[in-house]
This record gives sequence, structure tokens and C-alpha cells, in this order.
Amino acid sequence: MRFEYLQNLWRRAIGPFKEFGAIAGALYAADQVLRRLSPKIGIYVYELMVQPIGGKKLLPANLAKNLTFAEIGRGDPAVDLMPARPDIKSARFDQGAICLGVFRGEKLIGYAWFCFNVYEEDEVRCTYALAVPDQSVFDFDFYILPEHRMGIGFLAVWHGANEYLRSRNIRYTFSRLTRFNVASRRAHAHLGWKCVGKALFFQAWRVELMLATLAPFIFLSWSGKSRPRLQLWPDKLIARGVGRADDMR
Amino acid sequence: MNDETAVLANYIRTETGYAGDIDPDEDLLKVGILDSFSIVSLAMFAQEQFGVEFEGEELVRENLAKLSTLVALIRQKQSGAGT
Repeated sequence: MRFEYLQNLWRRAIGPFKEFGAIAGALYAADQVLRRLSPKIGIYVYELMVQPIGGKKLLPANLAKNLTFAEIGRGDPAVDLMPARPDIKSARFDQGAICLGVFRGEKLIGYAWFCFNVYEEDEVRCTYALAVPDQSVFDFDFYILPEHRMGIGFLAVWHGANEYLRSRNIRYTFSRLTRFNVASRRAHAHLGWKCVGKALFFQAWRVELMLATLAPFIFLSWSGKSRPRLQLWPDKLIARGVGRADDMR
Repeated sequence: MNDETAVLANYIRTETGYAGDIDPDEDLLKVGILDSFSIVSLAMFAQEQFGVEFEGEELVRENLAKLSTLVALIRQKQSGAGT
């Protein structure tokens, strides 16, 4: 009995290191310990990613034929199906974010939010600014309703998002992925995402310390009035020749 | 292992790098060989390879997670049933 208990304890202790690697595993373990001490202390580790909006359709015509894509506006009943808190959803509309819903018939399959120019992060204090705003968006809260996961849902929403963004001459979409969300990292890797930066936020009550691989690199914030501003460039894709005009055809 | 199963298993090995045996009745999502993206890619490959057309509603876990259920769906389409 005691041996089994110790074995379980050992598995739980080394699990994050096996899953995330040494550094991210240590950060995950530290975050878990800190959150037990107080819910107001925690560590957020993000990877800032860029994805090309290519010309190739993700779904063939026969699979896309019953899908429709539409912007979901404030007050739309579909907003109530989204699990984010009402005040968070309201703040997104306030900052000019657009929510694109993907439907089969009348049924919502999933959705994604987009911001043009800048995105004000709602988990930590940070502003992501797009360095090439006429060709880029920032996407966040990409969500598939549970009954459509492990089916066409993920590709259907990206298919719709690509169509929508391409019609607006957008070539790149940026996002931040939580380092500890392994499933999301794996799924997005299929779409040609590249990491353009990393950021770590240590939060303790009102204080936030950011360490990032992008300027300003280090930032200490004491209140909501001061936020670091990270500028996002699609260099990694441009260097590889992805997302140029000829890829849009 | 029948022809369709062997072709699909080869595709999975090529796409995922998985080198082990693939049991047709094994849930490939559960064991981590496939993910939410790659099961749909597999279905799209099956469409082209076997000349069938699936409906979006048919691409659900119950039909895609095991090779045996995917092959059954392919055969159902080939025989014209359910179209």
C-alpha cells in the first residue's frame, strides 16, 4: 500500500517533466505549488506563434458543403454558448475583436476570435502589437464545442477562418499558445505554425513580472495601467518564403 | 489484414512516423497514434485512395478512431449504401 502510494507520488512528480521537458516541466511544477499557496500567485508560459494563411483549402468541397461561416456579434445567442466569462467576452467586443463562428446548419461547431492591429491579453497584462497590421491578425480562444472534437471540428473552424482571412488579404495569423497545452501544440503543428517568441509571466497579487525573448524582454507591472507591448513580426515565415503573394493564389 | 486496412496503416506510418503494429480494432486516438487533425487527414486520404465521398457528419470519432470502423464506412460507401 505504502509502495503504491510512493509510486503514484513519483509518477505525478515526474509526469510534467516527461510531458513538457526539463525547463517547462519545472515551471509547471512551480506553478502548481504556487497556486496551492495562493490562487493569486502563478506562472504563465506562452509561445507566440505565427501561421501562414495559404491559398490551399483545408477541406475538400464535399466535406465543406454543409458548413457556413459568419461573424458572431454582441448579443447573438451563440455568444452564450461560449464558455468564457461574460465580462471577458464583453471586453473582447469592446476592444474591437471579431468572433467568427462555424456552423453546420444552425448548429455552432466552433469559433475563433480575431483582433486587428493589437490584442490586449486578458489572462496577464500584455499587449501584442502586429508589426505588419495590414496583412496580419491575432487569433485567440480557438474553441471547438465538445461534441465536434475528434471529428471534423478542428479543420472546419480553420477552414472557415482561412477563407474569412484570405478574403481580407490577411497572410499571417499570430497566436499565443500556453506551453502546457500539449494537445493544442500538436494539433497546430500540422498547420505550419512557427514560434516567433516566448514569454513567461510571474503573477503575484497585483505584481506581474514578464520575461520574454522579444523586446522589452523584462517588464515589471504594478497595475493595469502599465502593460508590456510585444511587437510581433512574421519573420520566421518570410525567411522561409511562406505566405508571400504567390502563395495566396 | 485486408487491403484497405493495410493501405490505411501504411499511410498512418508514413504520416506519423509510428513504426509499431497497428491493430485494426485499436482506438488510435486513445493510444495517441492519431490526433484530432490526423484522423480527418486519414479520412481525406481514404476518400482519394478508394474513390468514395464522405459527408461531414460521418467524420466522427466512432467512424474514424479505429481502422476497422473506417474500412466499414469505406465499404458502405463503395456499395452505395447510406449515400
